[in-house]
Amino acid sequence: MQADRISRERKAPDGNGDFGQALLDASLPSPDGVIGPDGKPAPKRFNVYRNNVIVSLIEALGDTFVAVRRLLGDGYFGALAREYIVHHPPTSPVLIWYGKSFPNFMAGFPPLQAYPYIADVGRLEWAWLQSYHAADAEPLDPAVLGDVAPDAVGQVRIERHPAARLISSPWPIYSLIQANRFAPDDPPAVDMQEGQDVLVARPEIEVDLLCLPPGGAAFLEALFDGAALEDAAGRALTAAPEFQLPVCLQTALSAGVFSALVPDNGQGHLSAKDDATRGAL
Amino acid sequence: MKNKAMSAALVAGAVATAVAGLSVTTPAHAQAKEKCYGISLKGKNDCKAGPGTTCAGSSTVDYQGNAWTLVPKGDCVKFGTAGGDFALPDGRQGSLTELDRDLPQA
Repeated sequence: MQADRISRERKAPDGNGDFGQALLDASLPSPDGVIGPDGKPAPKRFNVYRNNVIVSLIEALGDTFVAVRRLLGDGYFGALAREYIVHHPPTSPVLIWYGKSFPNFMAGFPPLQAYPYIADVGRLEWAWLQSYHAADAEPLDPAVLGDVAPDAVGQVRIERHPAARLISSPWPIYSLIQANRFAPDDPPAVDMQEGQDVLVARPEIEVDLLCLPPGGAAFLEALFDGAALEDAAGRALTAAPEFQLPVCLQTALSAGVFSALVPDNGQGHLSAKDDATRGAL
Repeated sequence: MKNKAMSAALVAGAVATAVAGLSVTTPAHAQAKEKCYGISLKGKNDCKAGPGTTCAGSSTVDYQGNAWTLVPKGDCVKFGTAGGDFALPDGRQGSLTELDRDLPQA
């Protein structure tokens, strides 16, 4: 709703949309009413402004997608970003929210078809930024889970921490983002045959990235979807027979990707949908 | 595909193992950090807010009171009170909240 309103304002600051469209399309003439001190049309001044808008958006995308830019090189990245900006201009004035659809754009960009991992690296970088800006919350104290009676713990549901994200890929995106962004001086070995599931967490101030063992992604995805612990463990075993529940649970608890146990409403089937229904009643 | 099941007893055992392992060996967030104000040399303050908000390295005087640096949790109060790496000149101390000392001239 909010985005719709802002988007309309962006397209029509002067009532007919010419200004916004001319900003992004260099083949359009400078809009009526853009004049210099002499009262004459000032297309050169408008071109300076047009250039600043595009370049600052390219830089903003480059700040968000650091590893993608490094993988593609500055020249290619700049051209790609320019193409994206023209087709997907910002719908919000807040630059930290710009670029959500950039990974999908890259996935559908024909010249990048030979580099299918680039889009997933971008998805991980977007998740990193969203985790950084997510609401602060105290992570779940593991002792709270330890205090649940053994015969009830399998039915426990756990809330995702607001900063926790999960990105699964058939490509080694964890190794790629380390080598091209967070640890360029001490890069890990990159095995392009290896898929990696990455957990993004920010229990306090800094964002952590963790590579999950087999089944870990299926397990956490189920928990984040509102499945009970026992059910989530079953789904993880189905996805990966070598799934180790103690290891994955310990990894997730120490990473701080949960915020609280979901209170039991007595029916044992509390989910987001039930929650919404209760809210409506 | 039918889901495999994990018995309630196995789940309970796994939870106990995971929680016990955490409390004994690795306290959660052992690497936790905190923002510490008033300790950064000029141009060396931290800030990683992403595009459009470049404040990292924007402090203009040494030990600027409203600029912060990330330090390991618990270390901030040592600045100015402990010696060695924690020493600060002229009786200054690190603070977990913003300070009004050493602000740049407006």
